[in-house]
Amino acid sequence: MKDEKVYILGGYQTDFARNWSRENKHIAAMMREAYQGSLEATDIKPSDIDTALIGNFAGELYCKQGHLGAFFIDFDPSFAGIPTTRFEAACASSAVAAMAAMAYIKAGMYDLVCLVGVEQMKTVDPAKGGEFLGAAAFFEKEADGIEFPFPKLFGKLGDEYDKRYGLKDEHLAHISAINYANARNNPNAQTREWFMNFDHALNEGKYNTCIEGKIKIADCSQVTDGAVCMYLASEKYAKKYAKQKGISLSDIPGILGWGHTTAKIEFASKVADSAESQYVLPVTRKAITDAYSRAGIKDCWQLDAIETHDCFTTSEYMAIDHFGLTKPGQSWKAIEDGTITMDGKLPINPSGGLIGCGHPVGATGARQLLDAYKQVTGTAGDYQVEGASKVATLNIGGTATTNVCFIVGK
Amino acid sequence: MAERIKTVAVLGSGGTVGSLTGGLCAQQGLDVYFLSRTKASAERGLNRAVKQARSEVIANNITCGDYDTMLAEALGKADLIIESVAEDIQIKQQVYEMIDAHRRDDAIIGTTTSSLPLDSLPVGRSESFKKRFMSTHFYNPPGKMLACEIASTCDTDKSVYNFVKTFLEKKLRRVVIPTKAVAGFAGNRIAFLLFNRITSLAAEYGVEMMDYLIGPYTGRLMPPLATLDLVGLDIHRAIIDSLNENTNDEMHHSLVLPDYINSMIDKNMLGNKTRDNGGFYKKLPSGKFVYLDPETCDYIPAISPHVAFVEKAKYQIHMGMYREAFETILTAHSKEAEIVKDILCVYIAYSYGRIGEVAELEDGIEGIDKVMSYGFNWASPSHIVEMLGGRDCAMQLLDKNGFQIPAGLMDISNEKMATGYGKHFLAR
Repeated sequence: MKDEKVYILGGYQTDFARNWSRENKHIAAMMREAYQGSLEATDIKPSDIDTALIGNFAGELYCKQGHLGAFFIDFDPSFAGIPTTRFEAACASSAVAAMAAMAYIKAGMYDLVCLVGVEQMKTVDPAKGGEFLGAAAFFEKEADGIEFPFPKLFGKLGDEYDKRYGLKDEHLAHISAINYANARNNPNAQTREWFMNFDHALNEGKYNTCIEGKIKIADCSQVTDGAVCMYLASEKYAKKYAKQKGISLSDIPGILGWGHTTAKIEFASKVADSAESQYVLPVTRKAITDAYSRAGIKDCWQLDAIETHDCFTTSEYMAIDHFGLTKPGQSWKAIEDGTITMDGKLPINPSGGLIGCGHPVGATGARQLLDAYKQVTGTAGDYQVEGASKVATLNIGGTATTNVCFIVGK
Repeated sequence: MAERIKTVAVLGSGGTVGSLTGGLCAQQGLDVYFLSRTKASAERGLNRAVKQARSEVIANNITCGDYDTMLAEALGKADLIIESVAEDIQIKQQVYEMIDAHRRDDAIIGTTTSSLPLDSLPVGRSESFKKRFMSTHFYNPPGKMLACEIASTCDTDKSVYNFVKTFLEKKLRRVVIPTKAVAGFAGNRIAFLLFNRITSLAAEYGVEMMDYLIGPYTGRLMPPLATLDLVGLDIHRAIIDSLNENTNDEMHHSLVLPDYINSMIDKNMLGNKTRDNGGFYKKLPSGKFVYLDPETCDYIPAISPHVAFVEKAKYQIHMGMYREAFETILTAHSKEAEIVKDILCVYIAYSYGRIGEVAELEDGIEGIDKVMSYGFNWASPSHIVEMLGGRDCAMQLLDKNGFQIPAGLMDISNEKMATGYGKHFLAR
């Protein structure tokens, strides 16, 4: 396989505040709207698209609809007969679709790949949705008969940090408040008009009930409907595109490095396996260091921002030391000294992340990649990190079972 | 003078608009006094504000009290005074007299009215009151509706007005629409004329049929007559009366209230606020709805309309094919299709016809677009034009249906607009 650079040409994110079930829309409508928005955002001609890859976790469960790639064919007459495929890796579904897109391009099979991430989750009540999400864990052992299994599993991640290094509720509350604050600058963020501050996040109450352990409602990403459609391209197509847009090839960012690892599915097994490691989730750490290595990056301080997978505040707490902002177990230092805020040394989740921007699970990996693209092209609007040139993403599926890290830059 | 707002006093905080607007201020970290005739009423407003924020911690920023015991303290500290008392000019003027006696010279006063003649409200007040008085018309509920119209009187100091506009945009995160001080401003002027036209058509075609034909698939979150039940028919009549009295334009004839609406109000059938009596809709104990028969003012069972072009358009919207859905409407030929086209024409013609009248001419359709989207959850007039196929297609439709083509529509570009309007078209 050639070590060809894979370029990102931009795309479109739907407004994650929308409730597509209330609008009585089919999941294909969400894909179609994201696709149409992506054409307007990029000026790509439909007939240039060689293939479409769809990241989606559980269309069969939430919408009774699988085989989502087939719906793409309806979007334009020129798509008749093009290959489309749906990819699934729980909350990392569209990141693994992006991995496949890279592989196709590097292998020389396709020049322009349309990457769609999509999830419609508000079709069912929260308890039923919680049960569906349990399929991302070892369902029989970790989710069957358990109400809201995932907050509980990520509560255990907090418990493990607490046991090994100590963990204060205040630090998790800061993570929540920062993500909500960042989301207020993002016009597509689910929570941009919601109220949140540190006091609310810290204190248990009628509107911030405790789910288990250290996890309260404010520590959780919320049920979200959303889709992202974006484009990955070979150098050959990127050159043509640059000419069409009147820009230079060097103006178009690409994926500079990647890491993709899979851990054992059961959370207890992950913890048991990491007993001798400084890192609570060493397999996740490996995805990050692999990406650094492939991008030729020494450490996190060569990055300008990170879009990480804060499905819960504990997962962002984990990401802080796993990205290397602090020594293992000392993530609290980067929270206390302001490193991760918008004006800090290395902002985390300028978009608001999963807690603030939203977490339509199958769309999140693509959303992170698109936000990284926006940052390095200076098009992130009010959540732009000034002068960003290299941005990392971390998308995890299950309890950090599938881990995908990308470094995006020019 | 360097303006700043750290403390807000809300007069009329027992009401929905006052309490939720005050709550919005508290959410942004401002210190807010909730004032009402009784402390208990202010506290009910506080509970509403807490519910809007979904957080008890905002109560830490709110102090509740009645006018007798807390007005002087609150107005001594308030940088911004929001008046949201009853929509009655005499009551408001009495409240302004009270405010003028206690307020600081540098306090700003905003009223939440959009219907009463703004220039006559501060009559008799001090010069500094008049300079620092304007309308800040928050849409309800402000937690969900981001629109806020802002209008000055002939005495309002321009720099104070600009400061408040920025405060509303940046601090309270409002979508601010500068309007002229004309009755109904931009939003109510357009929406309520349309509502009234639909109530007239309901007399002929029925309530259920009109809400079916002009339902969410035509670009609105709720059907129009269901929306009026939510607003309250007494409020509807007050707005129509005010528009009838204070405006004069090419569609003024549409501002006559149908007789059956007056009968409904006489019988206290006001909508959701008189659930037992009903409104256009009435919910039975079984959970089913019956619909008003305008001829008898009694209720009749559902007829569950099914019109082929409507069902087809809804399915196309269900699949995200928005422009195709409007093509279905445009190419349909039936009595029902003509009603839908007529209402779309009224919306476009009346909205574009108000350019330069409800806001400054150079603002074009922008403010009207914003207030219809963020104040009513309707697709904006510009989006409807786009859905119809662009300016030229919209002009053809108006012409074919006997509407005068507004100059403001002729002036716009015929280019396609960006995606993102799908949220206003529901497959319902």
